[in-house]
Amino acid sequence: MDLLRYRIKTLFKYKDLIQELVARDLKLKYRRSFLGYIWSVLNPLLTMIVLTIVFTHLLGKKIENYPVYLLSGRMLYDFLKASTTNAMKSVVGNAALLRKVYVPKYIFTLAKVTSCMVDMVLSLGALFIVMVATGSQFHLTLFLLPLVILQLYIFCCGLGFLLAQLNVFFRDIQYIYSVVLTAWMYFTPIIYQLDDRFPRWFHIAVKGFNPLYYYIAQSRDIIYYGNIPGPRVFWGGWLIAFVMLAIGVWSFQRSKDKFILYI
Amino acid sequence: MAKYAIEVENVKIRFNLASEKVDNLKEYAIKLMKHELMFQEFLALQDISLKIKKGESWGFVGANGSGKSTLLKTISGILQPYEGTVKVNGRIAPLIELGAGIDPQLTARENIYLNGMVLGHSREFMEKHFDEIVEFSNLDKFLDSPVKNFSSGMKARLGFAVATVVNPDILVVDEVLEVGDMRFRRKCNERMQQMLSGGTTLLYVSHNIESVRNLCQYAVWLDEGKIRMIGPSSEVCDAYAAEQEEQVQKKQKEKRERLRKEGRKYDYLIVGAGLYGAVFARELMKRGKRCLVIDRRSHIGGNIYTEDVDGIQVHKYGAHIFHTSNQRVWKYVNRFADFNNYINSPVAVYKDELYNLPFNMNTFSKLWGLKKPQEVQAKIAEQIADLHITDPQNLEEQALSLVGRDVYEKLVKGYTEKQWGRDCRELPAFIIRRLPLRFTYNNNYFNDFYQGIPRGGYTGMVEKLLTNVDVMLETDFFEYRKEHPDMFDKVIYTGMIDEYFDFCYGHLEYRSVRFETERVEEANYQGNAVVNYTDREVPYTRVIEHKHFEPEAEQENPKDFSIISREYSMEWKPGIDPYYPVNDEKNNALYEKYRALAEQEKNVIFGGRLGSYKYYDMDKVIEAALADSAKELNIWIQ
Repeated sequence: MDLLRYRIKTLFKYKDLIQELVARDLKLKYRRSFLGYIWSVLNPLLTMIVLTIVFTHLLGKKIENYPVYLLSGRMLYDFLKASTTNAMKSVVGNAALLRKVYVPKYIFTLAKVTSCMVDMVLSLGALFIVMVATGSQFHLTLFLLPLVILQLYIFCCGLGFLLAQLNVFFRDIQYIYSVVLTAWMYFTPIIYQLDDRFPRWFHIAVKGFNPLYYYIAQSRDIIYYGNIPGPRVFWGGWLIAFVMLAIGVWSFQRSKDKFILYI
Repeated sequence: MAKYAIEVENVKIRFNLASEKVDNLKEYAIKLMKHELMFQEFLALQDISLKIKKGESWGFVGANGSGKSTLLKTISGILQPYEGTVKVNGRIAPLIELGAGIDPQLTARENIYLNGMVLGHSREFMEKHFDEIVEFSNLDKFLDSPVKNFSSGMKARLGFAVATVVNPDILVVDEVLEVGDMRFRRKCNERMQQMLSGGTTLLYVSHNIESVRNLCQYAVWLDEGKIRMIGPSSEVCDAYAAEQEEQVQKKQKEKRERLRKEGRKYDYLIVGAGLYGAVFARELMKRGKRCLVIDRRSHIGGNIYTEDVDGIQVHKYGAHIFHTSNQRVWKYVNRFADFNNYINSPVAVYKDELYNLPFNMNTFSKLWGLKKPQEVQAKIAEQIADLHITDPQNLEEQALSLVGRDVYEKLVKGYTEKQWGRDCRELPAFIIRRLPLRFTYNNNYFNDFYQGIPRGGYTGMVEKLLTNVDVMLETDFFEYRKEHPDMFDKVIYTGMIDEYFDFCYGHLEYRSVRFETERVEEANYQGNAVVNYTDREVPYTRVIEHKHFEPEAEQENPKDFSIISREYSMEWKPGIDPYYPVNDEKNNALYEKYRALAEQEKNVIFGGRLGSYKYYDMDKVIEAALADSAKELNIWIQ
């Protein structure tokens, strides 16, 4: 219990540092580019346009209001991809600093995931624009969106810790993970709809073993369908998030004292 | 309040050299399959135990890789000990590297905040101290430019200012202050001193032993991960510096011996291991030139040679008292010897009377019983006026016209006649241009700023000058040149210039002296180092009692005997040691002829008392050697 109190105390002590690191990431992202914040909105918007053009003509069966369908899933995936990839490099990338000053190492991982989350929240503007442009309805359920983001944030923190820790010992994890990310995207109904065209085993595999499905299903319900998410995906989402966090924290904690020897 | 700021107990830090090189999964898998995952341990620190009280300052010294930085990192919490414990009471400000955590893309203002928070300060705290940091770092003009455009000195200023914004309980400094200009370093030092007096505990690593000595009360000497020595910083620093020096010497000696074995050619052959040759050799060696010093005698040092006789340093070739007003020369010799505070105040014995030298109020009051300078001046003026000498024709008349009859008869006449071996009336007037009279009660013979004698004698000083220079004694230059004409490129010749040219224009003349050295079974023979005998009847000119040159050695180790030398002046003839050049018109003209020849010798530099036929004090010889060597090496000196 004392240990926990101590951890919370240090986290509190370094809260300003996390803030500052997040601010730095965002500042650096926007500072020296001409369009600045617009990029955060423009980027998903342009991807969405390309994908919409490609897929509405390619896929046999049309999905109603495909831009909103796509964005409501794609945004979460982009967040997962950006936050975990950045988190993975967070410890190794700050090697120079960690060798010189004592700073709790998880601060950097946490800051990266957080700055990516802030970036995603900012890019919600793109979704808003698309929804207005396509004349889709704004459901009251939208107010539940923060809960989903929070779940995914916790999940990404856990995964980020795990990857950051692995990357210290095995640098080629980065290449492996980028392959995993691509596969993960196709294994998740982001650009397509999980309907009866897919075999039954695929349904089971996605719904049973793909954590990302739980968050995308929730956000679709909230944004696209205007439903309250079902208890299975909702509570499942929370459970998975905390299990991932526990795994991440445990693996990070176990090896953090050895980092300095490898970075 | 805990008593100790830092408690380190039996700390061991272990690195695994083998597996740390494997940093990817592919290699790991391959090695795992081949069973090549070895364990090769390396102990960066072993059995380190330290207890540091609050407010103490500790320095850490040791070679590269000895574990200094590892230890500081362990104390700072960056490294975890493999075994043992580290307890720290208080807030640590680590300065392992200035500007750690500075992001080059951000501006100075943003970096101040970021860096402060990396060190664990809150935003509120940083806002409160922002102005203070800006003021110390002197960067107010550049606050909003990105740090990537800063110089390393500016970055260091920024880092130091942030790290020391608040008096930390423990300040850890690892060689970070070696960057930056003098002003910044002084500022940092002041800041550290100020923190130290404010109760901060300082841990300090530097390769600059002097700064450790100045800044720290205690020091730890680490060697291959173990504590080699721990204690007061001056002791530890001395021991460490001594060992380092020894190792450097050993290495250079090995190299020197290897080159000698290979029979490699020397850059310079220096003839004469006296002061001129030794200083010249030292300056050449310092610039990487290889030198061989040869000397006819069986010892180094030339005429300043001192011989240890049962603990008394005997000045074998007459009394040598170092005196100079040239600060550069004084600093130079002090690098090679510890000088004592000996002040030369000889006395003169005339028949059964004893007078102080040089001629001063003590002398005059003894002569005439006068006390006031005005009375003495009047007395001397009266004596000179009585003589009516307008155009002095010889030395006697010259001296009389300068000091009057009493001083001349009792203190000048006999001594000068013994020195030159002839009657004062037969000596030319120009030998004495002036006889300084001092109207104060001051027995200090010299007027120079600095004066003293090297503790342990001059030989040790010359030995130090000749460190890492090959020396061959009892070697005659002319024979050596005949046998090994290809062993050297250039020659520094400090022997007699006329001998070099085979006396082709005849001999230059010298005065010489002879010493009768004797051991007397008396603890104190004459009560002074130098006693001059100014009456003609005593055959010697003076008696030197060597132990009085080093009163501190006598105090440490009193002896119930003494060594004295009676000095006899004599004519020089070929075959005996020449001492003083006779710089009269005839000899100077002869020397000019030789000098013209010397200028033709392109690869030989003539120097020293005999090489340039000139009376030199020791400081003047050093000055000349430094100037000549600088000229030879093309170095400008101020």
